Amino acid sequence: MSPVSVVGVSHLTAPVEIRERFAFAPGEAEVALGALRSETEVQEAVLLSTCNRTELYVCPGGNEGVQEAAERVLAEKAGDVVGGTKQYLYRHDGEATVRHLYRVAGGLDSLVLGEAEIQGQVKDAYELAGRNPGTPALAGPILHRLFQSALAAGGRIRSTTPIGEGAASVASVAVELARKIFGGLEGRQVMILGAGSTAELVVEALARDGIRGLVVSNRSHERAAELASRLSGRAVHFDEMPFELARTDILIASTSAPHPLVTRDGFRHARKDSQSGPLLILDLAIPRDVEPEVGNEANVFLYNVDHLHEILDDTLLKRRESVPEAEAIVDEYAREFLQWYGARDVVPVIRSLRARWDDVRERELERLWRKLSHLPANDRDVVEAFSKQLLNKLLHDPTKRLKQGIGNGRGVDFIDAVRYLHDLETEEADRSEGSGTGDDDEADGIGVDVTLAEDQ
Amino acid sequence: MTHAVALLLYVGSLLLWFRSLLSGGRGRGAVIAFALAAAGVAVHAIALARFTVEYGQLPLNGLAPSLSTVALIIGIGLVATLGLGEGRRVGIVLVPVVILLEAVAVSLGIEPAPEMLDFQGAWFAFHVTLAFVGLGGLAVAFASGLLYLVQLHELNTKRMGRLFQFTPPLATLDRLGRTALVAGFITFTLGLVLAWMWTISFRQSFDQSNPKVLWAVMCWFIFVAALGVRMGDGVKERRSALASVVGFSLIVISYLGLRLVSSEGGFFL
Repeated sequence: MSPVSVVGVSHLTAPVEIRERFAFAPGEAEVALGALRSETEVQEAVLLSTCNRTELYVCPGGNEGVQEAAERVLAEKAGDVVGGTKQYLYRHDGEATVRHLYRVAGGLDSLVLGEAEIQGQVKDAYELAGRNPGTPALAGPILHRLFQSALAAGGRIRSTTPIGEGAASVASVAVELARKIFGGLEGRQVMILGAGSTAELVVEALARDGIRGLVVSNRSHERAAELASRLSGRAVHFDEMPFELARTDILIASTSAPHPLVTRDGFRHARKDSQSGPLLILDLAIPRDVEPEVGNEANVFLYNVDHLHEILDDTLLKRRESVPEAEAIVDEYAREFLQWYGARDVVPVIRSLRARWDDVRERELERLWRKLSHLPANDRDVVEAFSKQLLNKLLHDPTKRLKQGIGNGRGVDFIDAVRYLHDLETEEADRSEGSGTGDDDEADGIGVDVTLAEDQ
Repeated sequence: MTHAVALLLYVGSLLLWFRSLLSGGRGRGAVIAFALAAAGVAVHAIALARFTVEYGQLPLNGLAPSLSTVALIIGIGLVATLGLGEGRRVGIVLVPVVILLEAVAVSLGIEPAPEMLDFQGAWFAFHVTLAFVGLGGLAVAFASGLLYLVQLHELNTKRMGRLFQFTPPLATLDRLGRTALVAGFITFTLGLVLAWMWTISFRQSFDQSNPKVLWAVMCWFIFVAALGVRMGDGVKERRSALASVVGFSLIVISYLGLRLVSSEGGFFL
């Protein structure tokens, strides 16, 4: 049986205007998970909702009803979408789901390869499913194990491969450079020239690290004021820029001016009286806002668009090179999880298999005794012993291979095959109805470990 | 034996520093490297304490004990960077220096010098200890200066590779270098003043041609120069880093040169 399925939408299947319709706010996610609880077939569920993906992991896997229930939750959130939501949704089942989650946690499925934020988002999603207020946790034993394992895999991918190494966006390059120049950003003064969206993203990233003050200067003072108010900064008129430049630690220039706004002479004049420490300049404009000669001034670190692209290209190249190494870690953790999951199911399957054929053996013996009623008791005992021995011999190899299958990652396939070929679903249903007991005790990992150890 | 254990810990630390460098400072390599170096310093201190107990004198006289003591003081300088975050990565420069000094000391045999100096007692102990602490400060300034120049090069070449990632921030390195230089200058000056006062008080003469004296005065001027370049306009941080690197290198080279030509043999440091 498949352990888990996932239904979702991501940057690989839908543009942002569609993805944002599937996005759940934390409060909404709790409501959605609560609603899912009423779907009787869904035993466990975790909802992962980030700006690049919304995914619903559900147990049990391989169940059409469960997957459709999950799809309904997402479709209801998205509302009316032209052409329907199905065209944007993907489904994975069983091993593919397991591998998918590990790749997601490791940043291998991210828009920016190797980004680290997703690890925390996976953790938050898992924790949310574990603390649904007033109701039992939605993440049960299978998703608990799966998400713990995914977080471990993601952590190992980041700590042992270079997949998360280097800065992969202009904003993160800016933060990284500022840290390596100033040590920390606390108390640093930032100035933006222009009101471009990239500059805004850079400032937001810098602000998270505690800059002291932000000054926005733009030809249109209105736009400067608007941006400054959004970023909790201060707008200054363009002719005040040289004065502010003297006190600036980080300058982000992104105007659409046709000629440089910061010339070498102007720069020297602006900073001549200041006890100028280092100055980091990110010139994001084309044509450039800062004359390249300014970069030759003492203690000035000038990065233009080409420099930044080279850094980003280099980072992404190194990250791509580490993908095979990261995929090997995904394989390893997926195999471990599937072994664990297979071990949960193998004991009841073996028990059912034996019970199934023992019933057959007993029925056939009864038919035989009716035909051979003259047979003495001693001879009957011999025949019965023979039938048991034959059954043991017949089931020995399948049982052994089934246990081996758990060890080599094919356990789930084997269990499904054995269940199907020997019609164990019917057998298990009959036994379940007859006994009224579940397989909880039988399925626990300790019992399986002992069985496997004995077999070896 | 204890010295060998300390050396092993230092070598282990160095290997981990290089591993951390190759991984761009990711993971816990640098933390473990620092911890190993600190363990090496602890074992090294025990080794020199045992020397003191066993021979009834501080390991400040004779080449091997002196080198081992200087190595320990530099190691303590590294441990003192504990609260500096990435600044602790100066260990990648300091640990090889410690290993070199300690390895030479161990190979020479860390035993008391056969002859005793007339300049002994508390005066001597304070003078030598203060001078060694001063040199230790200059070694830390050298390490931070070297890494400062490396990081500056990485920033100017617009690369953000593993060397960039591993090397501490410029501001951290500058702060560390400045503190080490000031502390080193003060202690070294005190050490020299003590020696000068003793000489004037008890010998009434000052042998200006003694290589020890010449070398000590040169060291003092190097301290002055390294601190002096921080004055004035321009990129004083870079100048100071460069002065620390060049100054420490000059001290090492001149020491080796003076040892080769010195007739005093084992009594020079």
